[in-house]
Amino acid sequence: MAKGAGSRETFLPAQYQPPLPLDQLIIQDGAAGAGDRMELDVVIVGAGPAGLAAAIELAQLARRDGTELNIGVLEKAAALGEHSLSGAVVNPRAFRELFPDLQEGDFPFRGPVRKEAVYLLTADRRVRLPVPPTMRNHGNSVASLCEIVRWLGEKAAALGVNIFTGFPAASLLVDGPRVVGVRTAATGLDRAGRPLANYLAPNDLVAKVTALAEGTRGMLAQAWCEWRQVTAENPEIFALGVKEIWETKRALGTIVHTLGWPLPSDAFGGSFMYPLAPNLVALGLVVGLDYRDSALDVHGLFQRMKRHPLFRRYLEGGEMVEWGAKTIPEGGYYSVPTRRSGDGVVMLGDSAGFVDVPSLKGIHYAMQSGMFAARAVFAALKHGDPSAVRLGDYDRMVNASFIMQDLYRTRNMRLAFKDGFYAGALKAGLMTLTGGRFPGGRIAMPRDADVARRLTPGLRPGSGEIPDGRLTFSKVDGVFKAGNATRDTIPTHLIVGRDVPSEAADFYARLCPAGVYERIDSGLRVNAPNCIDCKATDVLGPRWTPREGGSGPKYKRM
Amino acid sequence: MSDVLAVLEQREGALRKVSSEVVTGARRLADGLVGRVEALVLAAGSVQGIDHLGGFGADQVVTLTNGAFGRYAPEAYTRVIADRAQAGGYRAVVFAASATGRDLAPRVAARLGVGLAQDVTDVAVEGGAVTVIRPVYAGKALLKLTLTATPAIVSLRPNVFTPVQRPKAGSAETVAVHAPAGRVVVTAIKAAAAGTLDVAEAPIVISGGRGLKEPANFKVLEELAAAFGGRAAVGASRAVVDAGWRPHADQVGQTGKTVSPTLYIAVGISGAIQHLAGMRTSKVIVAINKDKDAPIFKVADYGVVGDLFEVVPRLTEEIKKLHG
Amino acid sequence: MKIAVCIKRVPDSETRVKIASDGKSLDEAGVKFILNPYDEFAVEEALRRKEQAGAGEVVIVTVGSAAAQETIRTALAMGADRGILLQTDKIPADGLEVARALAAEVKDSGYDLILFGKMAIDDYNHQVGPMVAELLDLPCVTAIAHLEIGGGKGTAEREIEGGVELVEFPLPAVLTADKGLNEPRYPALKGIMAAKKKPLQVKPATLGAGGLEVLALTPPPQRKEGRVVGEGPAAVLELLRLLREEAKVL
Ligand SMILES: Cc1cc2nc3c(=O)[nH]c(=O)nc-3n(C[C@H](O)[C@H](O)[C@H](O)COP(=O)(O)OP(=O)(O)OC[C@H]3O[C@@H](n4cnc5c(N)ncnc54)[C@H](O)[C@@H]3O)c2cc1C
Ligand SMILES: Cc1cc2nc3c(=O)[nH]c(=O)nc-3n(C[C@H](O)[C@H](O)[C@H](O)COP(=O)(O)OP(=O)(O)OC[C@H]3O[C@@H](n4cnc5c(N)ncnc54)[C@H](O)[C@@H]3O)c2cc1C
Ligand code: SF4
Repeated sequence: MAKGAGSRETFLPAQYQPPLPLDQLIIQDGAAGAGDRMELDVVIVGAGPAGLAAAIELAQLARRDGTELNIGVLEKAAALGEHSLSGAVVNPRAFRELFPDLQEGDFPFRGPVRKEAVYLLTADRRVRLPVPPTMRNHGNSVASLCEIVRWLGEKAAALGVNIFTGFPAASLLVDGPRVVGVRTAATGLDRAGRPLANYLAPNDLVAKVTALAEGTRGMLAQAWCEWRQVTAENPEIFALGVKEIWETKRALGTIVHTLGWPLPSDAFGGSFMYPLAPNLVALGLVVGLDYRDSALDVHGLFQRMKRHPLFRRYLEGGEMVEWGAKTIPEGGYYSVPTRRSGDGVVMLGDSAGFVDVPSLKGIHYAMQSGMFAARAVFAALKHGDPSAVRLGDYDRMVNASFIMQDLYRTRNMRLAFKDGFYAGALKAGLMTLTGGRFPGGRIAMPRDADVARRLTPGLRPGSGEIPDGRLTFSKVDGVFKAGNATRDTIPTHLIVGRDVPSEAADFYARLCPAGVYERIDSGLRVNAPNCIDCKATDVLGPRWTPREGGSGPKYKRM
Repeated sequence: MSDVLAVLEQREGALRKVSSEVVTGARRLADGLVGRVEALVLAAGSVQGIDHLGGFGADQVVTLTNGAFGRYAPEAYTRVIADRAQAGGYRAVVFAASATGRDLAPRVAARLGVGLAQDVTDVAVEGGAVTVIRPVYAGKALLKLTLTATPAIVSLRPNVFTPVQRPKAGSAETVAVHAPAGRVVVTAIKAAAAGTLDVAEAPIVISGGRGLKEPANFKVLEELAAAFGGRAAVGASRAVVDAGWRPHADQVGQTGKTVSPTLYIAVGISGAIQHLAGMRTSKVIVAINKDKDAPIFKVADYGVVGDLFEVVPRLTEEIKKLHG
Repeated sequence: MKIAVCIKRVPDSETRVKIASDGKSLDEAGVKFILNPYDEFAVEEALRRKEQAGAGEVVIVTVGSAAAQETIRTALAMGADRGILLQTDKIPADGLEVARALAAEVKDSGYDLILFGKMAIDDYNHQVGPMVAELLDLPCVTAIAHLEIGGGKGTAEREIEGGVELVEFPLPAVLTADKGLNEPRYPALKGIMAAKKKPLQVKPATLGAGGLEVLALTPPPQRKEGRVVGEGPAAVLELLRLLREEAKVL
C-alpha cells in the first residue's frame, strides 16, 4: 500500500530516486556472461549526429591516410533514426565542414528558414515579440533528425563503417582506469530474465577507443563520470520536449516559437512549430524539469496548448501522424563536464551537454564535437596511445571552438529562469544586451531531482481533460503514434525506488509522457514496454537502463 | 462460358458450414454472368447436408467420390478439380479461403495457368469482368482487382458471405472418379481439445480488462462464453495479462493477437488504441463499461454503460434462454 | 541438405497506409521495409535443418527491386549462405507471375527443400509457394507449424479449423511456414559482419503482367460512430434484439 511520506506540502524527487546502477553499467573486461567477442579499433555508442559525424570523420581521415580502421557504431534503435527526435532547425556549419565537397542543396534538409515569429501566449491571445538575437535563425534550415541520421548513416556505411542497429551498449568494459569497450544488452529474455528460444547473449566489443555518443542523459556517460569522478561546476539539468507531426490542411510558412501559456509562471519552457513541408508541421512543447508543481504534466500541457487559436487554425481538420518525446540537457556552459575524455574514452554531443538552450541548438554542436573527437582519436591511434593525455586533445579542440564560445555567451541565461519566468525573462534580456556579462559570475543550480515540488492534495493523474482523439490525444495514443510495439514480455528496464509513496507514484505518472507509470490502488504499476526512452524519469525518478535492442519508439520523421 | 464452379468442403462426410457461403458467393457471380452454379464436393462417400445447397442458389450439386477423398488429398484434389474446371468451361471457380481452400486454390490456379484472388471479401461482375475486393496491409486498405483470365479463381474469406436463401431447383449427382495417388498424405487429424478455442479463431470473442478487478472474476466471462455453446473464446487486455491474470496467448491487441470475429464483446476494457488495433476489424463490437467516456464506446456498434457485474450475468441468462 | 528460401521485402506491419496518387498502390514515402515475418520462420527453419544435417547450403531467393538486397542481407545475417535477387521494378499483382520467375530459378538446382512464408503481410496473397510446387510438380504442404524430417521424408503439422492435420510427404518438397514453426533468431553481430561478404547475385527478371489487374486501392470504410444502447442490465434485452435483428449475428 502506497503511503504518504515526507512532508505534506512538498515532495523531493531525489528522496525516492535509486542510485545509478554502477555495478551494472561498468564491468571488468572478461567478466562472465558474454557470447561473441569482437575487436574493433573504435566503437561508437549511439548513431545520432554526434556518433555518426565522428564515424564519418574518422573513416575519412583513415582513407586519406591510407590506413585501415575498423569502426563500429552501436545503436539501440531497430533502424537508423528510429530513436532520433529533435525540433529541428539546423545550423549547417558542421555539415559544411564534414562534407566540404557537397553543396548546401545536397544536405538532408527540408528547406531554409524564411520567416520566423516569436509570440507570448495567454490562454486565448498572443502578443508578437521581436525575435531575440539568440533565437534568430536566418541561414538555418528546417529538418527532421530522423532523416538527417539516415542520411549520415548512408554516408558512414559507404565509407566502410559498420553500423549495428538494434544493439544497445549496456555496460562499459573496463580494465583498471581504462575503458576497453562495451558489452551489448542481451536479447530474447522473458520477463523473469530467463532466456527464450531465440536468446542472443550479450556481445563484447573491445576497442582501442570507445566514444560515448548516447545523446541526452547517456547512461554509460553518466556512469563513467561518476566512476572517474568527473564533475562540472553545475550539475546537468534537463528539459522534456513532447512533439507531434501533423499533416495539416492549412500551410505553414513561418517557424514559430512561443513563450508563456500554458506553462505556469514558475516553469521554464516554450513551444516550437516548424514546417517540414508546407502541409507537414512539426510542433512541440519543451518544459524545464525544475518545474515546481508536482502535478505538472508536459504531455497534458502540450495537448491543452494545441487548443490555442494560434495552433488550432493549422491543426484542425488535419491528422496527427507521429508523436514522440525526449529530454534535452539544458545546463549549458557550467554543466559541461570538466573533462570529456579519459583513458580509452571520449564523450560527445548531448552526452557531454553541448546544447545551447536560448537558441535550442544541439545538432551542429553534436556533429562538431564528433569531428573533433575523431581527429583526436585518429591522432592517438596513429601514436598507438589512446590514453587520457592524448585524447585530451579533443577537450582542447572543443574548448577553443565555437562550441564553448557559444555556450559561454549564454552561460547564465537558462539558469536565470530558475526563479520563475518573468524575473528570468528580464534577466535574460539584460544578458543578451550585455553579451552574457550580466550578472557576472555563475548562477548556481541544484540538480532537478533536488528541486522540491509543491503538492496539491486530492489531485490524481488522469483527472484532467478527456482527449478528443482528433486534436488532443492520450499518452497511450501518443505511444502508438511513436510506433512503439515493444514486446510485452521483456524484463523491465526501469529501476524504481522501493516503497515509493503515493505522491511519488502520482508524480511519475504525470511526468512520464508515455504512460509508463500508473497509480493504482495498491501503489505503482510500471508498464515498462510503453517507454519511449525520453529519459525524463531517469532525471527525476526511476532509472532507465538499456533493454533489448529494437525496443521503444520507431520514429520516422521526428 | 458463364457458369460458376463452387468448390465445397466436407469433413468426415459432413458438409462444412463455409460451403453455403461459397455457394452464396458463387451465386452472386453467376447472377452477374447470367450463368449456372455447379457445386462440387470431393468425398469418400455420400455427404450429409448437400441437399440444402440448392436453397443457397446451386443449380446442381455434384459429389465426386473416391476412397482417397475422405481427408484432404492435395494432389488428387488439385488434379480432379482442375480437370473438371477445364472440361466444364467455367467462367469462375470459387473456393473457401479456409485452411484447405487456401492450399488448394493456388494449386488449381497454377495447374490451369491462371491468376488467383485469395481471401476476398466481395465479388462482383462489372461489365462482364469478374472483380473482387481483398483486404491488404493487415486490413488497413482494400484492393479492388479484376481477374482477366478464364476461369477467374477466387477464394472467399469465411464468415463474410452471409448465406442467403435463394431457392433453386438444384439437382444432385454422385459420380465415382478415379484419382492418382498423391505423394502428400494427410495421415491424421488431431481435433483441438474442447474448450481451447483460440481467440484468433473463435467466431465470438469476449474479452475482459482491468474492470474485472481480480482474476477470479473472469468466471463471469467464461460463463457467458459457455452460454454461446463452445463458439466463444475469452480474450484479455494487456493490463490483465501483465498483471498475470490471463496468459499472454489470450491477449488481444497490437502486441497480442489480432482477431476478427463476427461478434466481439469488450468487458471492462477502456479501449486504448493498442487494444483496438487487435479487434477493430471485428464484424460487430459490443462494449460494456461503466465509464460513459471510455474510448471503447467510439468504436462499439452497441454499447452498454453499466457495471459489468450486473450487466454480464444478465446477458448470460438471456443468451442461455436463447440457446435453450 | 540444400535449401532454398524464397523471401519478400514488405512494408513494416506498423506502417500507416497512405495511398499513392495513382489510387492503386501504397505511397512508399517514409515507409520502412522489412523481411516478411512469415519468411523469417522459413529462414530459421532452413538454418536449423542445415545445422541438424551438419552440412548443406541455404540460398535466399527473392523477386523484388534493387532495395531488396538489403532484405536478403538480413537473411544472410541470420546465417544463410548466399542470395539471389531476381530484380524487377514492379511486382505484378498476379502471384502466378512471381511463382513462374521463382520456379524457373530454383528448378533443377538440387534443392531438397524450397521454403516460403505462408503469406506476405502486404498483399496477403497466400499463394506463391503452392504455385511454385505445382509448376515444378513437387509435393507441397502449406502453413506448417511443426516439421520433422528424416530418411528422405517429412512429417508436418498444419492448423485447420478446429484441429491439426498431420501430413507426410517425400523430399524434395515445397513447404510454407506459419507462425509457431519456430522462434526466428536475431541476427548476431558476427552474422551481420559476415553477411556483408556473402555472395549476392543480382539477375534481371522479366515478369508478365499476369491475369490480375489492380483497379483501386482504397482505405477501408470508416466504422460507424459508436452507439450506446442503454444503461445497466435493463439494456440487455434491447442489446440482444439489436444483435439479432439489426446485426444478425446471433
Ligand atoms: C524537442 C527537441 C527539440 C530540439 N530542437 C533542436 C533544434 O531545433 N536544433 C538543434 O540543433 N537541436 C535541437 N535539439 C537538440 C538536438 O536534437 C540534440 O542536441 C542532438 O540530437 C544531439 O545529438 P547526439 O548525437 O548527441 O544525440 P542523439 O541525437 O540523442 O543520438 C544519440 C543516439 O544514441 C542512441 N543511444 C543512446 N544510448 C545508447 C546505448 N546505450 N546503446 C546504443 N545506442 C544508444 C540513441 O538511440 C540515439 O540514436 C532539440 C532536442 C529536442 C529533444
Ligand atoms: C507498446 C504497447 C503495446 C500494447 N499492446 C496492447 C495489446 O496488445 N492489447 C491491449 O489490450 N493493450 C495493449 N497495450 C496497453 C493499452 O495501452 C492499455 O493500457 C490497455 O489496453 C488497458 O487495458 P484495460 O482496458 O483492461 O485497462 P484500463 O484502461 O484500466 O480500463 C479499465 C476499464 O474498465 C472499466 N471498468 C472498471 N470497473 C468496471 C465495472 N465494474 N464495470 C464496467 N466497467 C468497468 C473502466 O471504466 C475502464 O474503462 C499496449 C500498450 C503499449 C504501449
Ligand atoms: S519511463 Fe521511459 S518514457 Fe517514461 S519518462 Fe522514463 S524514460 Fe521517458
